Amino acid sequence: MSSDAPRLRPPHHRVDRRAVWWWTTRSLTVTVVLTAVPVVPALIWAPPRSWFLLAAAVIGGLGLLITVVMPQWRYRVHRWEVTDTAVYTASGWIWQEWRVAPMSRIQTVDTARGPLQRAFGLSSVTVTTASAAGPIEITGLDHTVATDVAERLTETTQATPGDAT
Amino acid sequence: MTSPDGLSPQTPDHPADPEVPWQRLHPLSVWASAAVAGIFLVPSAIVGTIVLAVLGQYPWVFFPVPGSLAFLALTTYLDLLRLRATRYRVTDERMEVRSGVIAKSYRSIPRERVRSVDVAAPLYVRVFGLCSVTVGTGEKVGSGGSDQLQLIYVTAEQGEGLRRDLLHRRAPRRTGDAEGADGSGTAGAAEEEAAEEEAADEVELARLVPAWLAYAPATAATLGVGLGAIAALLGLNAQTGGVGWDWVSGRLGLPTPEQMSSFVMARLLMVVPLSLLALLVSGVVVLTLAAVETWWNYRLTREADGTVRLRRGLLTSVSLSVEGRRLNGVTLHEPFVLRSVGGADVRAVATGLSAADEKKTSAKSRLSPGMPRARARALAADLMREEASPLDVPLTAHPRSALRRRFTRAGFVTVLGTVAAAALAWAHGLANQTWWEHAIRAEQEFAPVPLATPVLETTPTWGWGVLAVLLGVAAFWYALGSYRGLGHGLHPRYLVVRQGMAARDTVALERSAVIGWRITRSPFQRWAGLADVAATTAAGSGMYAATDVGLGQGLAWADAAAPGLLEPFLVREDGGGASGAREREGA
Repeated sequence: MSSDAPRLRPPHHRVDRRAVWWWTTRSLTVTVVLTAVPVVPALIWAPPRSWFLLAAAVIGGLGLLITVVMPQWRYRVHRWEVTDTAVYTASGWIWQEWRVAPMSRIQTVDTARGPLQRAFGLSSVTVTTASAAGPIEITGLDHTVATDVAERLTETTQATPGDAT
Repeated sequence: MTSPDGLSPQTPDHPADPEVPWQRLHPLSVWASAAVAGIFLVPSAIVGTIVLAVLGQYPWVFFPVPGSLAFLALTTYLDLLRLRATRYRVTDERMEVRSGVIAKSYRSIPRERVRSVDVAAPLYVRVFGLCSVTVGTGEKVGSGGSDQLQLIYVTAEQGEGLRRDLLHRRAPRRTGDAEGADGSGTAGAAEEEAAEEEAADEVELARLVPAWLAYAPATAATLGVGLGAIAALLGLNAQTGGVGWDWVSGRLGLPTPEQMSSFVMARLLMVVPLSLLALLVSGVVVLTLAAVETWWNYRLTREADGTVRLRRGLLTSVSLSVEGRRLNGVTLHEPFVLRSVGGADVRAVATGLSAADEKKTSAKSRLSPGMPRARARALAADLMREEASPLDVPLTAHPRSALRRRFTRAGFVTVLGTVAAAALAWAHGLANQTWWEHAIRAEQEFAPVPLATPVLETTPTWGWGVLAVLLGVAAFWYALGSYRGLGHGLHPRYLVVRQGMAARDTVALERSAVIGWRITRSPFQRWAGLADVAATTAAGSGMYAATDVGLGQGLAWADAAAPGLLEPFLVREDGGGASGAREREGA
């Protein structure tokens, strides 16, 4: 490849540090629930108990590994940036995704706070374009930051003419 | 939720326009539905009565006919209520529909958001002179969540009038529309006049050549039958004394035809070829008939204002209109079998061809039947109004590492296939006489003539090896074909991506219709320096990707395709833009 091949630079802002705890809690909850699934029959039936417990151990082990690795990894990847002309985000951990949407094509801007996000004082911003490829989401922002971003996006897009398609 | 464009369809805060009267669906539509239901219900009720009379169930004999009539009356009454409750009108700014008997609904869309108008007339509706109209908007309308407005049914004239008014950005002709429901003479005359005027400045892009229908059976389903035909040829070979196979096996030192054919063909000779031929013929007949129904009277035209109009159908006549500027591109679709016989079909990449239902989208976006490839490419160029067809743009190949990825996958499949074959060969060796007898008896339960088990029993164990080798060859051949299918390019107005082996799609998408980029990388892609670079758009499937493109190559392409959008987020190889530039000058 030639030396001037372009690359994507990471977006400027990291998400809030508390997002790590949010991802950890979420992953831990899922792990606990999934591990409990084979544990229940293990308590009821004696003969295949060891197999169920083995399954529980495997699921629990994998889940814990993910719980330890994933949030740190995500924190290093997840970034966002809003310029005067576009929204730019990076997300994912094993599979990674970068999204760019120009201001002129943004249709709606929402902020949302799930109960778990609220417990950590976090919010996410969802930016919808006319594409069926799905909205751009910036998750794990501090609540006030998210509100500011949404306001700024709404103002900028309102100032841009066109029907966003 | 904030809606920056202030055009949320839920808020009817537009200036009320008392001038334009509301229109109704045509009263005949109720009777059309009733007649169709009656055609099915009444005869079955009569049959039911006769059956019950024969069985001597006297009190019940009097139930089916009155019962079905009462049911018919009830549904007709409900339909009548629905008809009475439904009103629509087209004002200068909006199309509005009121409907609902119990739950009232009001849906309103700005006319500038109308992307496509689909007028369909199934045979049983056509005899009443009616048609249904579906208006595609490319976005959700109201809380119902559908992105379409439907009118079932209006008169053919009303349908045609709606089609024209909604897509031509001129004020509705009020005299005609106001009386349209009664189908009065003046309205009809106006329609005819307009139709004549329209026909004059209509450009025909394509018209059905009946020979094209021969491409209809060229699908993977018929290929399966075709594979069977090859097996039948082998049977024929054995029947004629196996001259051909004698020659091949003599050269290669394979088992003699006696060894091979004595077990397989002894009594299957007649059954297998005949049933395969029957399958092939019936497959071809069915597919051709379906194509005749779908594509009869096929005409693709462009009207004076740029609207592209598709007309087709024998029993259900369909007319689909897509506003010119909503047609953001074209897909040249070449499924493997159609491709190998030199055919292709053309699909639209258009906003408002309901993106919600994938199946429907592909049905509606099909702008042509299978046709010769050169014709399809010419049609695509015509549709895009380009002298130099975007499909003729030379495409850049993707890096070798994309081929390596595909070979790795093929290798994986081969290894799995070999392991499975070895396991089966081992199990095959273990199975003894009694086991086979049980298996044959079991197969006899399902099929009159057991074919599979005797063939299996007499196949030597190395047959599994042959199978594994064939699988491996096919996997690597597929990998190579799939790599060769990859490509991306740029036309002054369009970006072009191509991919696919089983079905190769070459997509030309208007560069001005790109509304963002999505770059994804799996761990393997990061390792190999590859990425999927996808342009997001409001049209068609919403996203068109250059798959497994080199990261730098793909980003440079995306940057060139939509200048300025990606630029602020790119850095040249070694960090700073300035140092990169210096390095370039030095090199």
